[in-house]
Amino acid sequence: MTGYQFPSQDSDPLYHFNVSALGAPAVSRLGWSVYSSKKPIMSANEIERATERLTIPMPEMIFGNNYIVVAHKSGWSLGFNAIDALDLVAKHGNPQGGLVKVAYSDAWMNDKKKSSGEVHQVVKPFDWTYTTSYQGTPASSLVSFERTSETIPLGRLRRPDPILFFDDVVLFEDELGDNGITIVSVKIRVMEERLFLLCRFFMRVDDVLFRIRDTRLFIEFADNKILREYTVKQDSYENVKRKIRHSAGDLGLYLRDANWVAEQLPVVETFTETSTIPVIN
Amino acid sequence: MLGPTSGGSVDLDDCIDRLYRRELLAESIVESLCSKAKELLIKESNVIHIKAPVSVVGDIHGQFFDLIELFRVGGFPPNTNYLFLGDYVDRGYFSIETMTLLTCLKLRYPHRIYLVRGNHESRGISQNYGFYSECKAKYGNANVWNSFTDMFDYLTLSVVIDDRIFCIHGGLSPNVHSIDQIRVVDRFKEIPHEGPMADLVWSDPDPEKEDFGISTRGAGYTFGAEIVKKFLHVNNMAHILRAHQLCEQGFQVLFDDRLSTVWSAPNYCYRCGNLASVLEVSGTGERFFNVFDAAPENEEYREQQALQHNTMTEYFL
Repeated sequence: MTGYQFPSQDSDPLYHFNVSALGAPAVSRLGWSVYSSKKPIMSANEIERATERLTIPMPEMIFGNNYIVVAHKSGWSLGFNAIDALDLVAKHGNPQGGLVKVAYSDAWMNDKKKSSGEVHQVVKPFDWTYTTSYQGTPASSLVSFERTSETIPLGRLRRPDPILFFDDVVLFEDELGDNGITIVSVKIRVMEERLFLLCRFFMRVDDVLFRIRDTRLFIEFADNKILREYTVKQDSYENVKRKIRHSAGDLGLYLRDANWVAEQLPVVETFTETSTIPVIN
Repeated sequence: MLGPTSGGSVDLDDCIDRLYRRELLAESIVESLCSKAKELLIKESNVIHIKAPVSVVGDIHGQFFDLIELFRVGGFPPNTNYLFLGDYVDRGYFSIETMTLLTCLKLRYPHRIYLVRGNHESRGISQNYGFYSECKAKYGNANVWNSFTDMFDYLTLSVVIDDRIFCIHGGLSPNVHSIDQIRVVDRFKEIPHEGPMADLVWSDPDPEKEDFGISTRGAGYTFGAEIVKKFLHVNNMAHILRAHQLCEQGFQVLFDDRLSTVWSAPNYCYRCGNLASVLEVSGTGERFFNVFDAAPENEEYREQQALQHNTMTEYFL
């Protein structure tokens, strides 16, 4: 096992990254290291423990042993894992207000009112779309973020600098009972002078709604500049569908393409934060 | 591609050989196969009674290499009898090859191969989850998708093995207490959003519950221990066998061995890392989950594709 494990006590923080126990980094550069892990979906036992801990049913595909951690030798680190992302999902909610419903829900529910008393109403509603505002798990109190008016220098990221390390790790995915998709994945690329990470929550509820929540992390190695941008985007399914050219024919190809959809959705909220590495004595 | 044959007759053995090599058949051949399959399937009841030994297969989802791996592990037809529990298409790269092969095998060995309908064997779902796009990409039009989805309307809803094991794709329905209630369903249509036909292909067991519940999504049912017990008692059955849900070990047994889920797509979506299984029901009624892992051909194919499209790294923003 790595330094990344289920806590033994209920009072423990959910998951914590013990960077010193993560083993060898995938890549190291000027004091910065990146660790990544890609494992199978969790076993039935692991799912049971996670469910008890989080108190909501787990998504269909949960990669609880996957992670990407970005760490500086000073002790600063920010990691990304499924359990912490799921911990931010609304665990209670009212299906009549706030929670998303599938397109044919009202028709279905009306029909149900006629049927037998054997059927119980939704016992414990939670946000089954697994919408999360996860922006990563900081190592400890050493890591804090503050709002800044700076923005991530995209120009520097557009340069075709050689990529020393690239990875794309899925944290969890749910097919929403074939009513759409929710997927949270983390991509990282490390160049000689900087690294860039994108943690994306992508949700499509067929005939209802699209939702994207992006966390971008930019680190410039030379001056240890750290910028984290969080962006919320959302629009109705109908509005997005309308943006597909009529000649396109196969709508599904577009509606399944998170990158294409991301370009169509209006920004609801966005802010950038900065963080500084602790001084090494 | 195999060219059209004269006089509308199709050499099934030749088609099967070509499909084992992952060749696509010509559009006209596929149309002909689907219309022959409809003639065969229309005669099948909504509840088919079969005898063991039979090997029961869960979701495949277009993972063609893994279907072949399953045959390597469990025996190729007709040496092994197979009952497939649906979800042949969508998600994987080879829905067409998978569905064409299963259709040919059904036509060639109609009493050794049975195909139950899954929730993905519908126009609404397969248009959005891969099968339609694959048909457009590989044939340049949707004719093959139309032929297959018309055929899907004829697939049966349930199978009973040796009068003891009740098999469906999804699960139980509050509208179905007795198996006889399934026999009277008009199944020759697109899967509706509600009613017994929808429930049989959609519902999921919930080990935490006793009764029926409504899914948190606002549509669809879950069913608990008491419902399973009652259903088995009323219908004088011993076990419920279904697919529909991903299991990390390839199978899951619930409710004191009263219900099993069988899952047959290893490394689902080419990234889940899960195992798969085929459930072998012996002539004496014993159940054995024959577990298998993803076929090695998947990795070779992935490497080939990565080289062709240079998808190893990307300058995402």
